[in-house]
Amino acid sequence: MAPFLWAAVFAYAAAGVLLLRERRIRTALTRQNASLTTELRARDGELRHLVSTRLPELADSLRNPAVTVSGPLYERELAGTEYARGLQSVMDMFTESAGRAGERADQSAKTTLRAMMRVVQSLANEQQVAISDMQERHDDPAVLADLLRIDHMNAQLGRRVQATAVLCGSWPGQQRSASALTDVVRGATSRIRDYLRVRLYAQMNMAVVSRAVEPVVLTLAELLDNAARHSQPNTSVEVNFQATHNGVAMMIDDAGVAMGAEELHQAARRLSGQQALDIHRLGDPPQVGFAVAGVLAARYGFTVSVDTQSPYGGVRAVVFLPMDLLTRIPAETGAPGAAPEQPAAREDRAGQTSSGLPKRRRMEVAAAVAPSPEPADRPARPAREIAAGMGAWQRGTRSGRAAPLDSEGKEPRA
Amino acid sequence: MTPRPRRALVRPHVVTGGRAHPTRNVFDLVTLVVAGSGGGPTAGLNPEQRRLLDLCRGGPLSVAEIAGHLDLPTSVTKVLLSDLVDGGHLSVRAPAAPSQLPSVPLLQEVLDGLRARL
Repeated sequence: MAPFLWAAVFAYAAAGVLLLRERRIRTALTRQNASLTTELRARDGELRHLVSTRLPELADSLRNPAVTVSGPLYERELAGTEYARGLQSVMDMFTESAGRAGERADQSAKTTLRAMMRVVQSLANEQQVAISDMQERHDDPAVLADLLRIDHMNAQLGRRVQATAVLCGSWPGQQRSASALTDVVRGATSRIRDYLRVRLYAQMNMAVVSRAVEPVVLTLAELLDNAARHSQPNTSVEVNFQATHNGVAMMIDDAGVAMGAEELHQAARRLSGQQALDIHRLGDPPQVGFAVAGVLAARYGFTVSVDTQSPYGGVRAVVFLPMDLLTRIPAETGAPGAAPEQPAAREDRAGQTSSGLPKRRRMEVAAAVAPSPEPADRPARPAREIAAGMGAWQRGTRSGRAAPLDSEGKEPRA
Repeated sequence: MTPRPRRALVRPHVVTGGRAHPTRNVFDLVTLVVAGSGGGPTAGLNPEQRRLLDLCRGGPLSVAEIAGHLDLPTSVTKVLLSDLVDGGHLSVRAPAAPSQLPSVPLLQEVLDGLRARL
């Protein structure tokens, strides 16, 4: 009996041990299973989150920097795993390649646009020359009225094209000679739709150096256009100058509505010219004015700000030109308000122009007259003599007509 | 004479304020204008008109000459001139009487003289 009993006890003990071990193993397996399930769920969830949320957000953020990309959902569960690192590198590669593709697309769009604008710009220039020729040729006021309208439209067309070209990284084009501040403002006025509303009472004996004329004109034109478009058609847009110790501030005041804080913030960002310009983000219709002003200001070394309120309630745009973009006023354009000068003084100024200052109309006139006294000394040249005879005859006629004049006054005009 | 700048910075529509019709129809290319004696206030004038007045202070000038000096088309110059005459800054000089003009035989003589010297 005893051996049977012993065997039974042993068998129970063995079974008990086995059972215990079995339970331990099962518990461990269950736990492992649970943790694997949790991890699997985390991975599934994380992958779904990546596809449905993070990548779309990332794609959005490339277009609009204001969008923030959310982080991983199960950061704690997946920390340090190969899986988490894999997902992160997917994100990184996506960002990088999307960024590169965007840049390439932007560059090629700009290049194409620039080339197209160059063609349109040269056409607009040709057209302007044609219009100017017609204005010279036709003396009929009715024709002139039409030509003035066409000229005005062409000037606006040229400005739009130039602005687009500048946004695509091109040069404003058009070489100009140094021009008086008043002419720069009036040149800008020529290129906007509501040019009759611009009032310029200020005068200043300063000129903009040749290389900065076109950029400053374009900047002012964009600001004037903004001012005119954002104010009532019956109000005026005023331009004033203010000399400062290191330059000149040009102020454009409108009587429209002031800008809100968000608008001001965006305007300041665009006007700084620091922000990389994305032509895809200018809106529809594109808001090019401040962007163009910002690009030109940064490139040519002047500043533009719109953060002051105008005394008329609207916006005051200030273009600050430092001294190195300014020069003395070119001769002939003269101080507009200056006292009338004697002809002798004007001759002196014509002399100055040869030292780099641009317009020399008096010289042209003088050149036309010059042959007349010369041939008297050289009878050997009959052609010159004829010219002399003609010149003398012409002068005689004129002196007869202008009898009460002193000879000094007439001489340079012959 | 060098050609006029045909891409002037300040376009004619700004110079005339968009007007193409002179307020008075008294100007042709050879009409002489002379600065008025008063030379009233120049405050409301634009730079081209001021330069025009400066030019005319030296003595009578023809419309064609003024247009040449200002680098403006004649038709545009006429609009400015009309304004200045209206404002009393300029006056139109009466054209020379026919008796003061050189006679045709005289001109013929001059021409013959020139031909003879050629």
